[in-house]
Amino acid sequence: MSSPTPFPPVLRRILLPLGTFCAFLLIWQWASNAFDVPVYLLPSPIDIWIGGVKLGPVLWTHTLETLRTILIGFACACAVGIPLGVLVAVNRTVSEAVYPLIVFLNAIPIIAIAPILVVIFGTDMTTRLIIVTLTCFFPIMVATASGIMETPAEMLDLSKVAGASRLTEIFSVRLPYAIPFIFSGLRIGVTVAVIGAVVAEFVNADKGLGYLVTSATAQFAIPTATACVVVLALLSVALYEAVNWTHKLFFNWSVRHDDKP
Amino acid sequence: MNTHNSTTPRPPTGPHPRPQPIFELAHAGVTFTSRKGKDVIAVEDMNLTVNSEEIVSLVGPSGCGKSTVLRVLAGLQPLTSGDVWIGGGTRKPGFAEVAIVFQKPTLLPWLTVRQNIFYPVRALRRRPDRTLNERCDELLDIVGLSEMADRMPHELSGGMQQRASIARSLILDPKILLMDEPFGALDALTREDLQLDLLDLHARTRKTILLVTHSINEAVLLSDRVAVMSARPGRLQNLIEIDIPRPRGPDCIADPDFQKYAAHIRTDIFGPRYRKEAHA
Repeated sequence: MSSPTPFPPVLRRILLPLGTFCAFLLIWQWASNAFDVPVYLLPSPIDIWIGGVKLGPVLWTHTLETLRTILIGFACACAVGIPLGVLVAVNRTVSEAVYPLIVFLNAIPIIAIAPILVVIFGTDMTTRLIIVTLTCFFPIMVATASGIMETPAEMLDLSKVAGASRLTEIFSVRLPYAIPFIFSGLRIGVTVAVIGAVVAEFVNADKGLGYLVTSATAQFAIPTATACVVVLALLSVALYEAVNWTHKLFFNWSVRHDDKP
Repeated sequence: MNTHNSTTPRPPTGPHPRPQPIFELAHAGVTFTSRKGKDVIAVEDMNLTVNSEEIVSLVGPSGCGKSTVLRVLAGLQPLTSGDVWIGGGTRKPGFAEVAIVFQKPTLLPWLTVRQNIFYPVRALRRRPDRTLNERCDELLDIVGLSEMADRMPHELSGGMQQRASIARSLILDPKILLMDEPFGALDALTREDLQLDLLDLHARTRKTILLVTHSINEAVLLSDRVAVMSARPGRLQNLIEIDIPRPRGPDCIADPDFQKYAAHIRTDIFGPRYRKEAHA
């Protein structure tokens, strides 16, 4: 028999990490007070909190702006990545022709190309969306392609004997089979999209958290900048969880196979 | 090589005026070319005629090409020589003509049991109408899964999954049912259970069944004829008629005739191993 736990497992899973997190903040706060760390070197949690509160609704509007860039860019990446992943997996000619180019594009460091894109496409939303899409479509495409390609041979045999056309086979067998793979791609993709959005706002923006970080740092408002970074981290976690939640809500059958791919 | 168009005297169960051939392999051969360019003969000069409503088993050592024969009939593997003929009027698409049951249940995990049974309908881009719905209910009843119709496959035991896969194979009322070691992945007890169920099912539906199996007892229990194949290259070595009256049941195994047939098949399979010169 196992020893009785004070909390039910669900509560345990929430309280334990929360406790660690609070302890981390407390130690940080205590350390900044005890060693008298200057605020421009490392702001304490309370400094960061004050920095954030000082921004008030401004922080909120910039967060929404960044969220908008992330979501639209991520949606574009899905719209390009998933069909392209299917195409690359299903058609050898497409795969052989297009794949090297895609790998090459992905190999370009996004931070290096971002300023060039600004010169080409200007300083508006389009450029930011291109940067976000470029950063996150690759994991989505690769995950989709591998799901499509790893469809078990027996399932394909089944659909062949059942007389399914190539298209029906893709939509009734390969694509559903790839769902858990696609979602692991989306989980990676959405976190990378946050990075892409910040990079985009670093090089070209008058709004957004990335812009706020650069402008606050320029004015040595380190607590404000750090508050933005914290919001970015929270945003990233929230988006990751949103993808997870969508997966569970709509494709619950595939969730238990999650840890495999 | 034995007679390929031997007529089968039917046991006196049911109305069978004359045996009607339903598919035929004539000098059928399959040669695979390996990556190194070497030819591997999987099946050679295979002649087999199977009549309507008959159960024929393919047995033989592994690598004798029995699964390849099945895949040829399923349309998954083209012949490299000879002919395959599947008859009986116009050819219908998909599972309406030839249905298959694999060793693994191969249910689609994102569909419920009922939706899985309808998969052959969806594969042909048709919608299940009332007749098909009734048929599905009837099949669920036959395989004893009425209660599980709306469950997901992973909630079912291995035996139940294979039953669902058998129900799926019958949804479009195929002429021919191909079974590739259908009970091979199940535990011994479930296996016996499903063998008896298959006998019942055949008595009710009179499907033509071609069964690939590793089990000699299974072959004798279920079949009207057993095709014994030899390996490397895969050839039809002998075709044995199992003259045990139907309906057959679990007591059949104790029948001295049953044992005689089983022993006969065993000698056919293992004989050449000990008398290599006789085979060469």
